[in-house]
Amino acid sequence: MTCAELRARLDAYVNGTLSSAETAAFEAHLDTCAACGDFLANAAERPQELNALPRSVEPDADLWPAITGRLAPRRALRRGIPVPAWALAAAAVLLIALSSGATVLLLRSGTHAPVTLSSRLEGVEAEYAAASDDLGRTLEKARARLAPETLATIERNLATIDSALAESRRALAKDPANGVLEQLVVAAWRQKLEFLRRAAALSTET
Amino acid sequence: MRRHAVLLVLIPSLAGSLAPGLFAQQKLERRFAVDSNVSIRITNMAGTTRIIGWDRDSIAITGSIAPGASFFGGGKGGFAKLGVERSDETLAAPGSTLEVRVPRGARLAVKSGTASIEATGLTGELQCVSVSGTIQVDGGLRLLVAESMDGNLDVGGPIGVSRITGGRGTVTLRDIRGDILATTVAGPITATRGMVSRAHLETISGAISYEGDVDRRGTLETVTHAGDVTLRLPATIAAEFELQTFEGKIETDLFPKGRVQHRPADGSPWTFATAGGGAQVSVRSFKGTIRVLKQ
Repeated sequence: MTCAELRARLDAYVNGTLSSAETAAFEAHLDTCAACGDFLANAAERPQELNALPRSVEPDADLWPAITGRLAPRRALRRGIPVPAWALAAAAVLLIALSSGATVLLLRSGTHAPVTLSSRLEGVEAEYAAASDDLGRTLEKARARLAPETLATIERNLATIDSALAESRRALAKDPANGVLEQLVVAAWRQKLEFLRRAAALSTET
Repeated sequence: MRRHAVLLVLIPSLAGSLAPGLFAQQKLERRFAVDSNVSIRITNMAGTTRIIGWDRDSIAITGSIAPGASFFGGGKGGFAKLGVERSDETLAAPGSTLEVRVPRGARLAVKSGTASIEATGLTGELQCVSVSGTIQVDGGLRLLVAESMDGNLDVGGPIGVSRITGGRGTVTLRDIRGDILATTVAGPITATRGMVSRAHLETISGAISYEGDVDRRGTLETVTHAGDVTLRLPATIAAEFELQTFEGKIETDLFPKGRVQHRPADGSPWTFATAGGGAQVSVRSFKGTIRVLKQ
C-alpha cells in the first residue's frame, strides 16, 4: 500500500469498513512509514484534545460576537482546487470527535462545579462553528467539480437548516435555561455539519 | 449522386462498427467467481443500478452502457470492483443500466449521482450514496447505510441496523424492525407497520409519521424543528411518553381515561404512562404539531 492509498482509506479504516486484508495492509504500512504515522497522529489529535477539555466550561468573555462573525455568509466561491481524500477523512474524524464531544459536554451536567446551560452551549457552538468553517472551506475548494443542480440542492438544504438554527437560537436567547431548546440547537448544528460533510465528500468523489 | 448515396449509408455504419461506444448503447454481460462474503464497490453515476442477491458464489453483470461511457470491472476472492466511467460525470444523461447479481451475504458499497439504486435479496451489508437518485432497498440486510441528498429513499423489511440520511426527498420505511436512525432536512419520514427496538427519526422541516408498535423495552424518539409528528400506536401499548413542543400543539387520545391531565401550556414536557409503562416514546418539536393517536 502506498502513502496515497493509505490516506485515501483513512476514513474507511476509522469507520472499520476495510476488509481484514486491507486493514492488515493499512497497518503494515503504518508500521514502516513514519510520515503516515505522523499524519494519523495529527488526525487523531483533535479527539484527544476534546477528551482533555475540562468537564465544566467557564468562558471568560462573551464569545457570541466571535461565533456570529464566523457564521457570517462567506464571500463568492472560487473555482477549482481539488481536495485530497485524506483532507476529507481528517474532516470526518474531526466531525465525529466534535459530535461526540458536544454530546459529552452537554450531558456532563450536575456532577461538578455549577455551569450555566448557556455557557456550556457557547463552548459547544464555538466548536461546531469552527468545524462548519473547516468543512465549508473544503466544499468551496472543490465546488467547481459539482453539477449546478447538486450545488442548488446543497444550498437549499443548508438554507433550511440555517433558518431552523436561527429560530431555535432566538427562542433559546429568550429562555436560556431551557435544556430541550439547547438540544434542538445542537440537533440543527449536527445536521448542518453532517450535511456539509456529505456535500464535501461528493465534491471530491464525483 | 449514386456515390453520395452509398457514402451516406456507409459512413454511419463504419463509424458505428469502429467505435460502438460513441454512437450506441453497448450490451453488457460479464461473470466472475468471488467469495460468498465478498466486498464489492459499484459506481454508476447516471441511469439505474439494480442489485440482486443470489445463492451463488459469483457476480454476474448484465445491462447496457450509455454511448460515450465504458464499463470497468473485475475481482477475485474477497474483493470486486465494477462500474461505469464517463468523460463527464456531472451529466445526468444518458445513463447506463447495470443489473448485478451478487452473493446474498456480500458487503456492498454503491455510489450514484443521479442514478437510481435498487437492491433486493441481500442479507449482508449495503452502503449506498446518491446525490439525487432514488434508493430502494428490500430484504433482510444485517446493516444498511443509505444516503441521498435529493432523492427518495424507500426501505422495506427487517433490517438489523439502518442508518438512513435524506435531504429533501421522502424517506419511506415499511415493516421496519430493529435499530433505525433516519434523518432528513425537508423530506418527510413515513414509517408503516414498524416494530422497532430503537428508533430515532429526525427532520428539520419534514413531517414525521410512524405507524406501528415499539418493543416493550424499546425506544422511539422523534425530533423535528418545524415538521408535524404523527404517531399511530396500538391502543394497548405499555409506554412512557414525553411530548414537548414550543410553538406547536399536542393532540393525543392515548392519555389514560379517568386521569387528570396536567397538560403543560408553556412548552415544558408533557409526560404520562400507559399500561404501567415499558417502552420509551418521546417527541420533541419546536413548532410542529404533535399527534399521538391510537391505531
